Amino acid sequence: MISRQITHACNLACLIVVAALFMPARLAAAQDQIVIASTGGAYDRALKEAWFDPFTKETGIAVTIVSATNAEMRAKAAAMVKSNNVSWDLYLEGEIQAASDAHREVTEDLTAFCERFSTKTDLVSNACQAGGALLQSTATLLVYREKDEQQETPATWADMWDTVKFPGGRAFPNFDDPWRVLAAALLADGVKKDELFPLDVDRAFCKLDEIRGDVTLWWKTGDQSVQGFRNGEYDVGQIWLTRARAMKNEGLPIGWSYKASFLVGDRIALIKGAPNRENALKLVEFWLDNPVVQAKACDILSCTPPSTQAIALMSDQARESMPTTEEIKDSVIIPDATWINANAPLLLKRWNEWVR
Amino acid sequence: MNIEPSSRRALVTVIRPRNASRYAPLTSWLLTLPLLATFAVGFLYPVSKLVALSFASGSESYLRLWGEPLYLSVLTTTAMTAAAVTVFCLVLGYPVAFAMTRFKGKAAIITAACVFVPLWTSVLIRSYAWIVLLQRNGIINDSLQGAGLTEQPLKLLYTQGAVILGMTHILLPFAILPIYATLRTLPPDFARAAANLGADRARTFMLITLPLSLPGVFAGGILCFVLALGFYITPALIGGPGSMLMATLIGQQTTVLLDWPFAAALSTILLTFTLIIVFLFRRALSLSKGFQSVH
Repeated sequence: MISRQITHACNLACLIVVAALFMPARLAAAQDQIVIASTGGAYDRALKEAWFDPFTKETGIAVTIVSATNAEMRAKAAAMVKSNNVSWDLYLEGEIQAASDAHREVTEDLTAFCERFSTKTDLVSNACQAGGALLQSTATLLVYREKDEQQETPATWADMWDTVKFPGGRAFPNFDDPWRVLAAALLADGVKKDELFPLDVDRAFCKLDEIRGDVTLWWKTGDQSVQGFRNGEYDVGQIWLTRARAMKNEGLPIGWSYKASFLVGDRIALIKGAPNRENALKLVEFWLDNPVVQAKACDILSCTPPSTQAIALMSDQARESMPTTEEIKDSVIIPDATWINANAPLLLKRWNEWVR
Repeated sequence: MNIEPSSRRALVTVIRPRNASRYAPLTSWLLTLPLLATFAVGFLYPVSKLVALSFASGSESYLRLWGEPLYLSVLTTTAMTAAAVTVFCLVLGYPVAFAMTRFKGKAAIITAACVFVPLWTSVLIRSYAWIVLLQRNGIINDSLQGAGLTEQPLKLLYTQGAVILGMTHILLPFAILPIYATLRTLPPDFARAAANLGADRARTFMLITLPLSLPGVFAGGILCFVLALGFYITPALIGGPGSMLMATLIGQQTTVLLDWPFAAALSTILLTFTLIIVFLFRRALSLSKGFQSVH
């Protein structure tokens, strides 16, 4: 009797699964909608609150968010375009990758669309480019554990290598994008900011050999860098500013230095053959045209918005954690995307050989 | 319509079974057809596409692969890791399978639950559980320090040892279940006969039970090994920079560099390697006398 009930239950479950499998992917798709892929979590929530919800309210166009890691989005978008089955409209891509040839093959060239922003004086000069519109900029930088108020704190990459003056474990990223670690090594070795690119890879690895034994964490995800700091796995590390800011908000004793920082941004890219192309462009325009929206999102994420007007609208607390114009001019490094993209396979290969 | 009696008989034998314990050829083909079709569409087609993609620019991807010591060395590490995991799974899994055949009532239910519940839990969750246990101020380090065994927290997480531990945990049911299935089919008379002839328990086990259960051990071993070769999530979460496996490299080429022909070439190599291993295992199996005496 019981076994028969189980059989019935299984049959029913099978039917449901089969029915679900053959259901059209976008059942009764809303007429006015946009699908955007983003990296999930707090990032999505901030964008939804500050950007998507006000947009839907104004235009009636619904915005659906799909969550994935940057690498997954990149691969999936490329697969969609190759198989001619595009179901996303927009996705977020790192500033550097957005300048690559592979990115161009998957996304629409926005040059024509960008012309309408050329007269907007509040936007930074690279706010809208062929590879996508600038969402925000943030930094990968040196962070350290605040121990004693009087003590000197590490400020430059050379300090990160100085394990006598600043003892404790070190943390570096290991997420298949090694240029920022190599660049930090070269700066620590005395290479000047203006002469950093093209990177002297051999010299960088030599310098990295020196610190290898002190690296207690090679983090792969932002979450690992946070968890590692909480657990005391490292005292000085190279991590993302957004994560450092989140830890500061939690009350952890963390400090950072713009004297050792790289500027990295996210771009909003339009996939070739996007099903809701016009609506998607409206959403991009809504972002670039609205300093209030940008200010709100960046207040939550502690990022730098593309509009200078938006910076002025941000809270004092958020603005304090942003680099000053002076710091940007003297020490914040803007990576050479062209060089990095051209050498990405080589960098990754050398990195794999070195790190394992 | 009239059908010749002889051809009619032939038709009947194709559709209807010759004896009750077997299906007629056509019926068995019809019954397996849905599976074969799914297999062809869902597996053979994509895999052949993948192999074709790896040859998209001739044999360039393969030449590059052989030219780089990194890839062969990672393939070796992958095979070694998988072999270590397989050995641990078998050594740890056999006693559990053996116990499962002896337990009755509540004990049997609890053991079965201990085997199945982890199997039904997501690999991601189980890998995260190991992070909680192994991290710097995790349960293991806290207890070691609390007991005064270590002064400094040990580096347990993000090591090759952690990867092997995590993978063994995840693959253990795949070793236990085939061994259990084989042990269960062994008639208890064999062991009784051995005891009757004066063999003690250890001798009975070594001479009768263990050899007869070897097919299950081989089946479990090969399942573990083949699955371990393709592990991706667990090494990514609990492995360090030293635990670079083949799947990690394939992932890099697929998602970071978008070099799909090269990723396809790496996958084809891994697939070929896996097939060779499976083939060798089968050869070893058919040579084993213990195997033939059971099936």
